[in-house]
Amino acid sequence: MIPAPFDYVRAESVDQAIELLSGNDDAKIIAGGHSLLPLMRLRLARPALLVDISRLADLAYVREDDGQVAIGALTRHHDVANSEALQELAPIVAYAASLIGDPQVRHVGTIGGSCAHADPASDMPTVLLALGAELVVLGPKGTSRRVTAADFFKGLFQPDLASNEVLSEIRVPKTTGRGWSYLKFHRRAQDWAMVGVAALAGNGIGPAVALTNMGERPLRAAGVEEALAGGADPATAAERADEGTSPPSDTFGSAEYRRELSKVLVRRALEEAMSR
Amino acid sequence: MFADAPVVVKERYVIQRQIPTPIETRSVLAAPSPAQGDFTLWSSTQIPHIVKVAMTLGLGISESKLRVIAPRVGGGFGSKLQVYPEEMLSLALAKRLGRPIKWTETRSENYLATHHGRDQIQEMELAADQDGRIRGYRARILVNMGGYLMIITPGTPLLGAFVYCGPYGGEAYQVEFTGVFTNTVPTDAYRGAGRPEATYAIERAIEALARKVGKDPVEIRRMNFLQPFTEPTASPGGLQLDSGNYGETLDQALELLGYEDLLKEQQIRREHGEAKQIGIGFSTYLEMCGLAPSRVLASLRYAAGGWDAAEIRVSPTGKVVVAAGTSPHGQGHATTFAQIVSEDLGIPIEDVEVTFGDTELSPLGMDTYGSRSISVGGVAVHRAAMKVVEKARKIAAHELEVAEDDLEFDAGTFTVRGAPDTAKTIPEIAFAAWTAHNLPDGLEPNLESSAAYDPENFVFPYGAHICAVEVDTETGEVGVLKYVAVDDVGRIINPQIVDGQVQGGVIQGIAEALFEEAVYDENGTLLTGTLTSYQVPAASEVPSITLGRSETWSTTNELGVKGVGETGTIASPPAVINAVIDALSDLGVSDMERPATPERVWRAIRRARGGAA
Repeated sequence: MIPAPFDYVRAESVDQAIELLSGNDDAKIIAGGHSLLPLMRLRLARPALLVDISRLADLAYVREDDGQVAIGALTRHHDVANSEALQELAPIVAYAASLIGDPQVRHVGTIGGSCAHADPASDMPTVLLALGAELVVLGPKGTSRRVTAADFFKGLFQPDLASNEVLSEIRVPKTTGRGWSYLKFHRRAQDWAMVGVAALAGNGIGPAVALTNMGERPLRAAGVEEALAGGADPATAAERADEGTSPPSDTFGSAEYRRELSKVLVRRALEEAMSR
Repeated sequence: MFADAPVVVKERYVIQRQIPTPIETRSVLAAPSPAQGDFTLWSSTQIPHIVKVAMTLGLGISESKLRVIAPRVGGGFGSKLQVYPEEMLSLALAKRLGRPIKWTETRSENYLATHHGRDQIQEMELAADQDGRIRGYRARILVNMGGYLMIITPGTPLLGAFVYCGPYGGEAYQVEFTGVFTNTVPTDAYRGAGRPEATYAIERAIEALARKVGKDPVEIRRMNFLQPFTEPTASPGGLQLDSGNYGETLDQALELLGYEDLLKEQQIRREHGEAKQIGIGFSTYLEMCGLAPSRVLASLRYAAGGWDAAEIRVSPTGKVVVAAGTSPHGQGHATTFAQIVSEDLGIPIEDVEVTFGDTELSPLGMDTYGSRSISVGGVAVHRAAMKVVEKARKIAAHELEVAEDDLEFDAGTFTVRGAPDTAKTIPEIAFAAWTAHNLPDGLEPNLESSAAYDPENFVFPYGAHICAVEVDTETGEVGVLKYVAVDDVGRIINPQIVDGQVQGGVIQGIAEALFEEAVYDENGTLLTGTLTSYQVPAASEVPSITLGRSETWSTTNELGVKGVGETGTIASPPAVINAVIDALSDLGVSDMERPATPERVWRAIRRARGGAA
């Protein structure tokens, strides 16, 4: 319950943070710390150096930019949930943020941290995957690259981030005119999703469906999307929700149960998205 | 009995293991005072007096050299009704090193090293007439005691041994317990200790009987209740019950629930085949608490007595100090005991101070567990107060030059019968007792008293709890729509504290029915070792609770009080599970494992529909 010894530096700028990361293979960025600190307390993570970026105010923002909504990586879940711009232009993002953890977690945890942690049980990666969002990654010497959510979430706790890169921004498309739903099945308000489903539908674009905690990374429900594209109704399409998934078994529920749950939730999410 | 009975119900229930989870984990500080050669032990415990005896026995420290203090303790639920090795180890180290030693466990350590509760496999049988009138009860219980015995590990299930018949009648009664050792944390007292398990068995089984004989769950209970009584009455389980009117609490609960409206709503949803069905579950419980007559404890091989004690000192200025022997950890004794003394002595409540939880300030006591504080400790406080009144009466009669019989006592003032202006108040008498200038011959100075009370019987709270749930038949998720609790815990001293106890207990029982389960893997590793994996529900997961009340005074003690600390966890788990089964009975579900997690409910539905388990 006590972390292994580590050094700590508070970065004054993103460039300094990248420089510090470049100089130490075992360095880790810390922002809200709500994913990293529990791992360190259990000594599942033992970074030698923590680079604290939580004071970099210029990474906390939500703004319209070039037809998209740009969210700074340090934006707290609470501020994502209460952003008027997101509530109007991409409400599924604001709503999903309001379901993360509990109020204390939402006031400290950040959207960037949630993405960089790449936990398949987290809500935001699934929503970003369904949206086809892009993530902006900064590297040494001022380099910058954009990665789609589909590419960014590579595997279990494996984001597409080199050890000397920093996730700086999340860019989501406006969903004006599209119906949406995010259903998070959990027993207690502060729990992770046993299964979660993000769905977007309407406005002349094919429905998008993505799943939380149904495999090692957030997954598109490809079978469902294919069935819907072929004209199937939501109930029929939802029967294919667990295709290509590999849900975990744990004390909250078995893989078999999660598979069945995903079908029910996908149907309900599609019905809600299509009626919104 | 069972061979001849027209109807026999035989059920098997698994009572899962639980982790008590007080908000404060255990913490110990042992400090030596080398100059005096004595020690102070602070421990987050329910039982400072018993800990003190155990420490002196174990370490050879004289009792006069050890002070044990239970400071403001952040909850226990039975898990701190225990003498733990860390207490003795801290004190032994402090003694050897001459330095203060502090130890505090983390939450994970609390889950791994503080005792657990429940964990039984029950076989419950009822023999009944064709119409559902119960003739006999037979229970065979297998108890997982864990790896070794702690303070009352084998006694815990036995505290339920007498109430496997609930509040119902019948002729025959048999219970049999078998304890088994396993490679797990020992089980011991957890809020209700034996009685929640017994209540679960009878309240599930009587609904199974109702289904078998085609009766409504209300009707089957009404026809089996013992008739109302105000004098001690024998139960099939061999108890002499103090007072009871079981049907009355059920009637009140039905009215508060709006039973008929819910039944209509249930019917509509069934007819429409809706995904979300509703169910109504009952629990009309009877429990025994107020531990306990010391002779009964002796027969259960309990190592301590069941009495409790109180001292009262009225200072020369009329302020009162009450040294109580029970040791609260959130139950509000300071308030309730001050109310008792304030009323008995006619002293304003703000002038009454109650001390407890410190073997120096309150040297005599048997501490707090088993819903005993009011019905044993509170009665001791009352008796001590009445002794103060009797001593004060002697002094008042002497000063007023009248016979004691000529004095009336009301609201703290003695008046001479027929001459109401001739009076003495308790503070006046306390001052006179202190100066001792003019006391009756042979009377000791000062206005103080002490009392120790050993009850002759238990007390027997009862009540009716009804739970209405909504079950999502597609996901298996259960939500509590409405919960009504009508309890008779005897005379009420402080309604707010009683309501708080019931609400907290009910919520803990809902957690037992729907959420909490300690799980080990096959290697004996605890899989639910954190608050993330061991699912204690929070405010957002529990309903508001509708409370009713009945107030039948106990005949066991002169205060008329029973006990309320455990009624909620005793009553509520079967009410919730019966409701889940009722919601799904139309689909053919007649059994439900607990806790009724979404997956368990979903599997039960699938089984009933003829699918795989």
